[in-house]
Amino acid sequence: MTEVATAPAVPVAGRAHASLARLVRAELRWIFRRPRTLVVLGLLAVIPVIVGIALTLVDSPGPPGGGDGGGESLLATAGGNALVLPIGTLAMALGLLLPLSAAMAGADALAGESAHGTLRGWLLGPVSRGRLLLVKSIGVAVFTVTATVVMALTGVLTGLVINGTGSLFTLSGTTLSFPAALLKVAIAAGWVALQLWAVGAVALAISAWTEHPMVVLASVLGGVIVFSVLGLLDALDWLHPFLLNHSWTDLGDVLRDPMPGGALAEGALRAGCYIAIALSLAYARLSTKDG
Amino acid sequence: MSTSTQVTGVDVAEAASTPPVPLAARTRGLRKLYGRTVAVDHVDLDVPEGAVLGMLGPNGSGKTTTIRMLLGLVRPTAGQVSLLGHPVPEQAGHALPDVGALVEGPGFHPFLSGRENLLRMAAAEPRLATSDIAGAVADALERVGLADAANRRYRGYSLGMKQRLGLAGALLVPRRMVVLDEPTNGLDPAGTREVRAIIAELHAAGVTVLVSSHLLAEVEATCTHVAVLQAGSVVAQGELAELLESGSPALLVSTPDGTAAMEALRSKRIPSRLTPGGVRVDLTATTPPEVVAALVHAGVDVHEARRDRTGLEDLFARLTQEPQGEVRS
Repeated sequence: MTEVATAPAVPVAGRAHASLARLVRAELRWIFRRPRTLVVLGLLAVIPVIVGIALTLVDSPGPPGGGDGGGESLLATAGGNALVLPIGTLAMALGLLLPLSAAMAGADALAGESAHGTLRGWLLGPVSRGRLLLVKSIGVAVFTVTATVVMALTGVLTGLVINGTGSLFTLSGTTLSFPAALLKVAIAAGWVALQLWAVGAVALAISAWTEHPMVVLASVLGGVIVFSVLGLLDALDWLHPFLLNHSWTDLGDVLRDPMPGGALAEGALRAGCYIAIALSLAYARLSTKDG
Repeated sequence: MSTSTQVTGVDVAEAASTPPVPLAARTRGLRKLYGRTVAVDHVDLDVPEGAVLGMLGPNGSGKTTTIRMLLGLVRPTAGQVSLLGHPVPEQAGHALPDVGALVEGPGFHPFLSGRENLLRMAAAEPRLATSDIAGAVADALERVGLADAANRRYRGYSLGMKQRLGLAGALLVPRRMVVLDEPTNGLDPAGTREVRAIIAELHAAGVTVLVSSHLLAEVEATCTHVAVLQAGSVVAQGELAELLESGSPALLVSTPDGTAAMEALRSKRIPSRLTPGGVRVDLTATTPPEVVAALVHAGVDVHEARRDRTGLEDLFARLTQEPQGEVRS
């Protein structure tokens, strides 16, 4: 052995890992610089506008008090009602479009990064696998909240532009003040975001198991459809409380006055359970996965 | 985490026979199964501190798998890994901040520019203060010659530029160890020279470098140590110079009368064979002066006598083309 080993100028010692805030910032910059993200957000923003215009053209103001909760039936009452439009479009998009975008975020977060070989870069940083999952979950959560807020905002704006503030009727027939109406939209958006977070968490779990983002998208989408079908089968009503989207059609409850909270609370609890279980599975897989 | 003192991973039993060289990385009995395929088996690799260790081996010999286990990316089926004195993967987090790595080709996001990709990577570097990130990224880009292309999207990079960006990622922070898996893949000759220069610079600064390659000339030019992998096992490792001598030692003698030389040597029981322009003498049982003396005594003209050093290529061929080479697909 000729050369005596001398450690090179030891760099700024100390921290064993980069700060969480810095990782989250980097993650969010990555998410919101991705062209796909921006396209999806743009499309989601346009949907309420299109729906609002279409309803105005058709001009069929439905009777207040009608509608049994489903997104489509909600929309029937949205014409001429600035409050129903944002919540109705959220309910409609919650059927498929919003879960799809949440699944996309979850798919890109782990499987997409694996496929590009970029997950390695962070693992070698090093970012521990627990922190990695935390950062990824925050990223997915921020994206789903953004998607919901964007839709709700354009929905509110479109409703106001088309119908004005004098048209804030609930499904129960009462009229709301503008702040009260905004509060209802915010409650609906928050609830939808929570449901989407659950979808995103499931997507993350699948994402941890595969290197193919398409597998994640297909599984989540397939799952949503299968769950919807199962939800329609009365013979399986014992199963229904376990289906994530069982309470998705109850979003219309927000539009009633006073607001019946039972179904919504149950839905929120269900979403919470899904999040806890899915993130645990994701961690179990990620912590033992070959990177 | 201080300096190299705790890095010594040499067992007491071994310390008796080998000089206690501090090891930057060390594996013992490393084994990895993928399903029923044995990717790596019985790998005992020693990477001395400050060395430039070239890891050689045919495709599929387990170089990358070994490197990934060394870095804690892959969990070994059996065996121990220690990296800069820390057991891996259990405490990889303590070692990795001081290790820069380019593994399995560069991995970056196509829609981001080279600079943005590196910024994202740098965010995960514990040794970088947030305010130093931009500067460190600019320096790394400069160092690999990508400063001009830094703001172009990664999507449009050539293979060589991608490889350079990967190298820049490994060099973001001053390291104690740098691991480069096939660093010259896709590089033009100028790029290959630059990589060599970078490795030499790192070596001069005392950084341990582990570089895997199948380009023998590259390894011969840059490495102090070599480990040869074949079918998932280390078949040879040590200092490059020693390994090159380790083949059957021989003396090449140029003489106009080869046949006379062979007869003279045969009478002294020294094995030799005829080569164009002279004889090749086996030195296993004798020394060069004895050979030359025997020839001169017998009146054979000796124009030149020199040691026949095995090129790395010969060594490699000998080590990797033995029958066991057929086992792996």
